[in-house]
Amino acid sequence: MAIKLPGRLPEIDLPLALAALGLVVVGLLMVYSATSLPGAHEGLWSKQLMWAFVALGAAWLVAAIDHRVYDSLAWPLYGVALLMLVAVLVFGSSAYGAKRWLDIGPIKFQPSELAKIATVLVLARRFDDPKVKLHRFAQWLPAMIIAFLPFALVLKEPDLGTALSFPVILIAMLYWGGMPLRQLVLGLTPVMNAGLFFFTGSGLWFGGLFVGLVVLLRPRWPALVALVLLNGAVSIATPHVWSHLHDYQKRRIETFLNPGDDPYGSGYQIIQSKIAMGSGGIAGKGYLKGSQKALAFLPMRHTDFIYSVVGEELGLIGTLTVVILYALLVLRGLRLAVVSRNRFASLVAVGIVTALFYHIMVNMLMTIGWAPVTGLPLPLISYGGTALIVNGIEIGLLQNVALRRHEF
Amino acid sequence: MQHSPQVRQSRQEHARVLQGVVLLGFGLVALGLMRLQVAQHVQYLELSKENHVRLEVLRAPRGAIFDRNGQLLADSAPSFNVVYRPFPAESLALRRLVRSDAWTRRVARALMADTAEVRRLVAGAGSGGQTVVLRRNAPFEVRAAVEETREELQGIEVVVEPLRRYAHGTLAAHLLGYAGEINDVELDSLGSQGYRPGDLIGRSGVERSYEEMLRGQDGAEFVVVNAAGQRVSTLTEGPPRLPTAGHDLILTVDLAVQQALEQAMADVQRGAAVALDPRDGSVLAMVSRPAFDPNEFSVGISFTRWRELTAGGENPLLNRAIQGMYPPGSTFKVVTMLSALENHVASPQTRLQPCFGRYQFGARSFMCWKHEGHGSLDFIGAIEHSCDVYFYQIGPRLGLDHLEETAKALGLGERTGIDLPQEKKGLIPSEAWYDRRWGAGKMPKGTLLNLAIGQGEILVTPIQLAMMLAEVAVDGQPSRPHVVREVRGVAHPKHDKQGRSRLEASAEAWSAVHEGLERVVATGTGTAAKVPGVRVAGKTGTAQNPHGKDHALFVCYAPAENPTIAISVVVENSGHGGSIAAPMARVALAELFLPDSLKHAVAARVPARAAADTSGGVSGD
Repeated sequence: MAIKLPGRLPEIDLPLALAALGLVVVGLLMVYSATSLPGAHEGLWSKQLMWAFVALGAAWLVAAIDHRVYDSLAWPLYGVALLMLVAVLVFGSSAYGAKRWLDIGPIKFQPSELAKIATVLVLARRFDDPKVKLHRFAQWLPAMIIAFLPFALVLKEPDLGTALSFPVILIAMLYWGGMPLRQLVLGLTPVMNAGLFFFTGSGLWFGGLFVGLVVLLRPRWPALVALVLLNGAVSIATPHVWSHLHDYQKRRIETFLNPGDDPYGSGYQIIQSKIAMGSGGIAGKGYLKGSQKALAFLPMRHTDFIYSVVGEELGLIGTLTVVILYALLVLRGLRLAVVSRNRFASLVAVGIVTALFYHIMVNMLMTIGWAPVTGLPLPLISYGGTALIVNGIEIGLLQNVALRRHEF
Repeated sequence: MQHSPQVRQSRQEHARVLQGVVLLGFGLVALGLMRLQVAQHVQYLELSKENHVRLEVLRAPRGAIFDRNGQLLADSAPSFNVVYRPFPAESLALRRLVRSDAWTRRVARALMADTAEVRRLVAGAGSGGQTVVLRRNAPFEVRAAVEETREELQGIEVVVEPLRRYAHGTLAAHLLGYAGEINDVELDSLGSQGYRPGDLIGRSGVERSYEEMLRGQDGAEFVVVNAAGQRVSTLTEGPPRLPTAGHDLILTVDLAVQQALEQAMADVQRGAAVALDPRDGSVLAMVSRPAFDPNEFSVGISFTRWRELTAGGENPLLNRAIQGMYPPGSTFKVVTMLSALENHVASPQTRLQPCFGRYQFGARSFMCWKHEGHGSLDFIGAIEHSCDVYFYQIGPRLGLDHLEETAKALGLGERTGIDLPQEKKGLIPSEAWYDRRWGAGKMPKGTLLNLAIGQGEILVTPIQLAMMLAEVAVDGQPSRPHVVREVRGVAHPKHDKQGRSRLEASAEAWSAVHEGLERVVATGTGTAAKVPGVRVAGKTGTAQNPHGKDHALFVCYAPAENPTIAISVVVENSGHGGSIAAPMARVALAELFLPDSLKHAVAARVPARAAADTSGGVSGD
């Protein structure tokens, strides 16, 4: 006689849950170590432990509710998120010259995090609609607007790092939603065009790339004409705009695009981070034994630069373990998107995974000095209440997909 | 509905692309980690051992400021600053030491500074790890004291950094402005523009309005220091960057004219003067009294000194040339005359009731400044002698709307848009304004009589007065006053044409006004502005003022046949425009138009000569 157990615990994706849990534990250990020196941040690890429990609760709750509820909640949530982003620009509290936070009573809240989840849900809902045919150019437009609004508002804060996560999520979800890769690449050419010009200062690079792409991907005639016209306009406009800027305006744009270029601030942090990581070697200096000399002046060693503490104390073994845990998390998340029978859920999984992956990449590449300092924390590891809870919600959404992967 | 095999297969294909991207990303990170933690491990281990890396800022000098002929007005020169560099967090003993009273007292003594101030600055530096300047431009004794007691002054260093210098001290201080160390409030709002603690920021004048051009870009180098905080070597890695100096400015100001005007105004307690080129609005000189020395701010100013400068009515930091608002007095008769001619209220030959020293209007009697009266005058004669009775009669015939329109067309009552900060608008009252003040239609009857001679509620700034006369000089061609001619290394800053439309008047009206103004200086109330061999056209003004003696005003342009300069002078609470203000304008005119041998005779003893010149009965208006 078989007893059917109620509850859905066995249905969750166990590797994903364990990877997430492992990362949170690594985070707690490292926050403890990074704040163990006598000084301002002493004892933060106990707060982080509390946040970790809150995040676990949030994940549980989010996983338990049927995702159809999120489907219908997507638009209201998106509206609220946009309103809050506007509120940040108006009443937000600023730090390091940017307005990113809303003070709600005792807690500080970063609405751009909520906006990310809301955007994923809205895009998933839209692409789930069978009437939306993503190989049709005209139907990209609403999706682009959906991603553009939070992008622009977050960019205004200014927070380039977080803002860019919106177009990245959009691209991944467009692709997953069924837009042919070919169209996606060709559609992105105007962005590549302007970007390459700013980086190389010459239109030739893009010219070569464009010819190569056209030969390789062979767009149809009407599309080709439209692309040539569009890129022609961009090619003419970009240098024109650039040369009409004053030196100081150019300088401001350059600092904006690449804040690490400012050696006084973030360049210093990168150097310190590299010394910490490099001196850790393969085995590290040992837990709690990091001299942290190099990090002594790094005010964000328990938040944005927590990965350098990992590198210093636990060495390559520690850093690669973290990489493997993240890879496990992301790849399991992608697998959920493949196996889920519900198209909405599948799209949500891809959006969430992309957001996580983007954050992981930007932070890790920053700590090893290969990406600009943008102020993005390391998901699940860095100290910070909002970020940890939002990460919890994201893991909860992935588990939600896992729980109902056989449902339509 | 079934999860169809096609869907599943297409998803798996898509997933493979995304998996590829993910693996590529993590692979890249792993590669970077191996390079850093394996290949470069020894090198970084060395750096982390007993040394640590410190960032030292290489301060960029602000751009220099020159006059139109390349004469230096402001620059940055190397000077010695005493700084405190905080210790890293693990140097517990040293960090405790710098919080001790003994250390603070030693430092304060060596620096000849306030103990509390030293403690405050050092505490601020400790939290952020930033170097702070404890004393700018330290004199030799301080440097010697620091060097002698070096061992006891842990963390204290003498460094060479640029110091802002104003070559001529108080000369053109208001126009140049000053730059001071950035404060916490500004840092919070401007941090995203790359400002850091210890940076200088323009606070007034050109220093403020051209801040973005003048400020350079700081450089930085990473130096390796030992446990005692001494420099061991320079780190080759990282982004070492040399400082880039700010852009130099070439002003429209002519140092010689500025000096002449400064000298003429030397004894003025409160007042202002502006000289500019009517052809394009470029400012040749700008003086405001009392003045201040911007060099004081470069080294940092104490709170008590700041209070001294800002408290009380004198306020030397106020640029009265663009921020002082004065009743224009009889200089406004230029506006009344132009308006009357243009609206055909009178012609240049019109004679009204003769002047017997007073004018009866209803129950009230309005006095002319000349008690014995001017007799019968035509319009040109009336402006030459500044006859109030004649203008009283013009006022009601002209009406408020016409007068307001002409005044605004000449730029009064609006900011001129000069490239200096915090310009004031002044006031040209309109009918609506009086309705708000007195109730609809309740404007007192005599108002227009007063307005016609520039008394009453009208308020103008000296720059507006100079621009008004400049535009009259070139038959109403508007221009925008400006003080910067060129920013070196930046495409020419476009001084966009004045948005105001041109004051249209007939050739007859212009020539009548020109003739009247020329006669003011030749034989009228403004003879004290006469310069031998130059045709000067001007107008005197004496503004009554409830708080003490009259303000003296004078406006002029020259040479009358082909004007190249327009001047306004306002001297607060001093007396008559013709005797006090006009001679000051003459000094600037002499500087421009006379050979050196004659200049000195004109410039010498201005007020005394002025009094002598006008003793023949014309004592003002």
